Amino acid sequence: MSAHGHHITPARTLVMVFAGLVFLTILTVVTSRMETGPLHVPLAIAIASFKAILVVLFFMALKYDNKVNALILSVGTLFVIVFLGITLLDTMYRGDLPNTQKGTIMDQQRAEEALKAEDPGAEAVRINRPENP
Amino acid sequence: MSGTTLAHSAHQPEVNYLNHTKTLKSWLFTLDHKRIGLMYLGAVALAFLAGGILALLVRIELLAPGQTIMGPDAYNQSFTLHAVLMIFAFIIPAVPAVMGNFVLPIQLGAKDVAFPRLNLASFYIYLLGGVIVLSALFVGRIDGGWTFYAPYSERVGDSILFVTLGVFVMGFSSILTGLNFIVTVHKMRAPGLTWTRLPLFVWSIYSTSIVQVLATPVIGITMVLLFLERALKIGIFDPALGGDPVLFQHFFWFYSHPAVYIMILPAFGIVSDLMGTFSRHQVSGYKFVALSSVAIAFLGFMVWGHHMFVSGQSATSSIVFSLITYLIGIPTGVKVLNWVTTMYRGSIWLQTPMLYALAFLFTFSIGGFTGIMLGVLAIDVHLHDTYFVVAHFHYVMMGGNVIAALGGLHYWWPKMTGRMFNETAGRVAAALVFIGFNLTFFPQFIMGSQGMPRRYYDYLPEFQGMHQLSTYGSWVLAAGLFLILGYLLWSLVKGERATANPWGALTLEWTHASSPPDMHNFHDTPVVTRGPYDYHLAPELFVTSPGGDGAAEQVHPTETKA
Amino acid sequence: MAQTTVAALESQDHHAHPAHLQHHFVSSEQQFDAAKMGMWLFLITEILLFSGMFVAYTVYRVWHPEVFELSAELLDWKLGGLNTLVLLLSSFTVAYGINRIQHNDRKGLIINLVITLLCAATFMVVKYFEYTGKFAVGIFPGGGFAPTGVYHGHELSHFDVPYASQFFSIYYVMTGIHGVHVLVGMGIFVWLLVKAIRGRFSSEYYTPVELSGLYWHLVDIIWIFLFPLLYLI
Repeated sequence: MSAHGHHITPARTLVMVFAGLVFLTILTVVTSRMETGPLHVPLAIAIASFKAILVVLFFMALKYDNKVNALILSVGTLFVIVFLGITLLDTMYRGDLPNTQKGTIMDQQRAEEALKAEDPGAEAVRINRPENP
Repeated sequence: MSGTTLAHSAHQPEVNYLNHTKTLKSWLFTLDHKRIGLMYLGAVALAFLAGGILALLVRIELLAPGQTIMGPDAYNQSFTLHAVLMIFAFIIPAVPAVMGNFVLPIQLGAKDVAFPRLNLASFYIYLLGGVIVLSALFVGRIDGGWTFYAPYSERVGDSILFVTLGVFVMGFSSILTGLNFIVTVHKMRAPGLTWTRLPLFVWSIYSTSIVQVLATPVIGITMVLLFLERALKIGIFDPALGGDPVLFQHFFWFYSHPAVYIMILPAFGIVSDLMGTFSRHQVSGYKFVALSSVAIAFLGFMVWGHHMFVSGQSATSSIVFSLITYLIGIPTGVKVLNWVTTMYRGSIWLQTPMLYALAFLFTFSIGGFTGIMLGVLAIDVHLHDTYFVVAHFHYVMMGGNVIAALGGLHYWWPKMTGRMFNETAGRVAAALVFIGFNLTFFPQFIMGSQGMPRRYYDYLPEFQGMHQLSTYGSWVLAAGLFLILGYLLWSLVKGERATANPWGALTLEWTHASSPPDMHNFHDTPVVTRGPYDYHLAPELFVTSPGGDGAAEQVHPTETKA
Repeated sequence: MAQTTVAALESQDHHAHPAHLQHHFVSSEQQFDAAKMGMWLFLITEILLFSGMFVAYTVYRVWHPEVFELSAELLDWKLGGLNTLVLLLSSFTVAYGINRIQHNDRKGLIINLVITLLCAATFMVVKYFEYTGKFAVGIFPGGGFAPTGVYHGHELSHFDVPYASQFFSIYYVMTGIHGVHVLVGMGIFVWLLVKAIRGRFSSEYYTPVELSGLYWHLVDIIWIFLFPLLYLI
């Protein structure tokens, strides 16, 4: 197909990428079992992202492909980030209105049960919730 | 322009895409984008008819407080089914799948879309989805509105499973159509058809397709999760299981707000084409109009939370959503202003399609401005879930999409069928639709601002006057729509034969294809040498033309005015 | 655009149409580019489909990090790691198979497709044992979540905490939908294998192999993220 100008990724490159991916898999297992403190989650995600980039660039040959395909992938990824980011903007700040509760109904039920356990005789312990939800 | 232009040929080809084969099988298994477009037209028109009849029933029920023609349960089911049919089975596929399919490849100078088999498949997937939705009728009550909010949607009867499954399946159809069009626009353009020479209809369908491809998968996974919530109680959305119902709303609106742009962007494209063609004038700010479609497509993904201001989402996110919502006004305003300036110093030809474009300008502007009002946090808290929202939504969807789609249907009808409709009847119907529409929905703004809640079966007596006006308006609107149906069907039998370019338009489907087109669209691949609205570069349109109804003579002044 | 134009003009003076060229394309190159672009668009719809589940995961993890860390202990990182390696190997063989057919080595393609299929089957078998092992001790998705007894040395009563069922719901939904994609991929590879054995592919025409490969790599990438998110952190 070289007559048509298709890029052929050399076997050597593929083998090296595969070796790199195996190494990164081992690395992510090892680091996840070490004490890395606040880096625990970011490190795992960084390694996974790096692996994904390797697959995209070499196995999927995006490095040598038409640029429009790279654009498509970038736009898709961008919108995953938009979806995640804006949703987190709500869920991470949930309850910042004075008239809303942070937890769910289940949390409230549990809090009520805890209160009832403290004082079994109390009448109608209810936190901000109608009698029969 | 090459000498092959068909602009003035009065005769119609003996063999065209409609009659080259005549068996039923040749239609059902066709890979021709034009035939698929027509089959979509039939299916979508049926959905519109069914949804419309339900709307009329709902309006009649609201003629007086209390029970008028149906009980509360039938009422709930009627408006739910009206919404589901109109949104998922009618508006979303209406313009892209009907006119996009028919017109887009011809406007690009291509023989077909990039993936014809996929195109046919998406039609049948759409039909399958429709059948699944309708089968819900036989399972039980259809309840819960078109938004399927959890946890209510997890408590109502099982028929909602069929509705959500149907929506899931129709989503695939939408994805495949969008994917097909994006590739077609990128890879199938005729020689010389650069990005800045694309008709604005192509730009808008392109932007729509981006939204379809990016947003629709999310409604897919949402419906899957809802399905699993009901089947396995996985507890992602149901608060009684520890889930978060607001998360459902995020998922739902991440699709459904962009879906609003799936509905309105194609309408923008039609109106741009109509404005250019019937003003005999370059669409002013072509690049701005084109890119504003893309901008709306992208910004539309970041504003979904303005549907959720009173849902209990965090104030932080409400403020951000509100701010980004204002930004949408900018590209939309760019479009409206450019349409107005296109007409300025143009030679406006008030044929039926242009009447719809002008009606659109009026109704859509009202819909757009009230949208900005609803994006304001404090005002939305007052107006949320009132008839104000219903009116806004219908001004954008019906006053925006449907009126533009009617304009497009009239515009491309001669190309699709090879017949002209009756112009007088067309103008009367356009007037009826415009008056009926405003009469139906304007009172709802007033009612809503006074506190009439949406979706309610009953209401306080002081709202009766407004409700009656609205119901009478819906009858005028229905009369206009049935008149259109009547004269369009009549034109198929008795209509005057259309010339290749009855409107004097400059895009390829008019200049290089006969009416109706050949089965492969063109005899030779067209070579494009000018922009889609470059009337100053198209002298051949301004010689006296045989046939037509004098369009060319009427537009002559453009040359001298400039 | 320039490429399309040139391709279109060039094609007008050579009429040798290869068998795989559809009538509405002017050249094999245009057809190949279109198909590949369509595939990439399809891939981003897949990414967005999975994004919903990743959003659900992130939201619940941010809300209840301690529950997620605790529950993750019940997932066996060795089996997850094995599956990761298996999928990586299958991705490699797909990429190498494409390399082989580009050199017109049909036998090489067939061998690589067979290895890919074996890897995918291994993945599903491991998944089967993971699922059944959990079902046996009452770790079901959602409403059925009632862990009892001892599982791999873990006293399960410690794990029956609020929102643990959310973790396992998300685990089952994500890996389940991913598993469905693996099964679909296996079906595609069987189909490719049949066509390859019949000699339908050559260095001139291997579009289906290339497109299926892209799909398979995406399935691999999803797992590359699922593995650390569910099993490790």
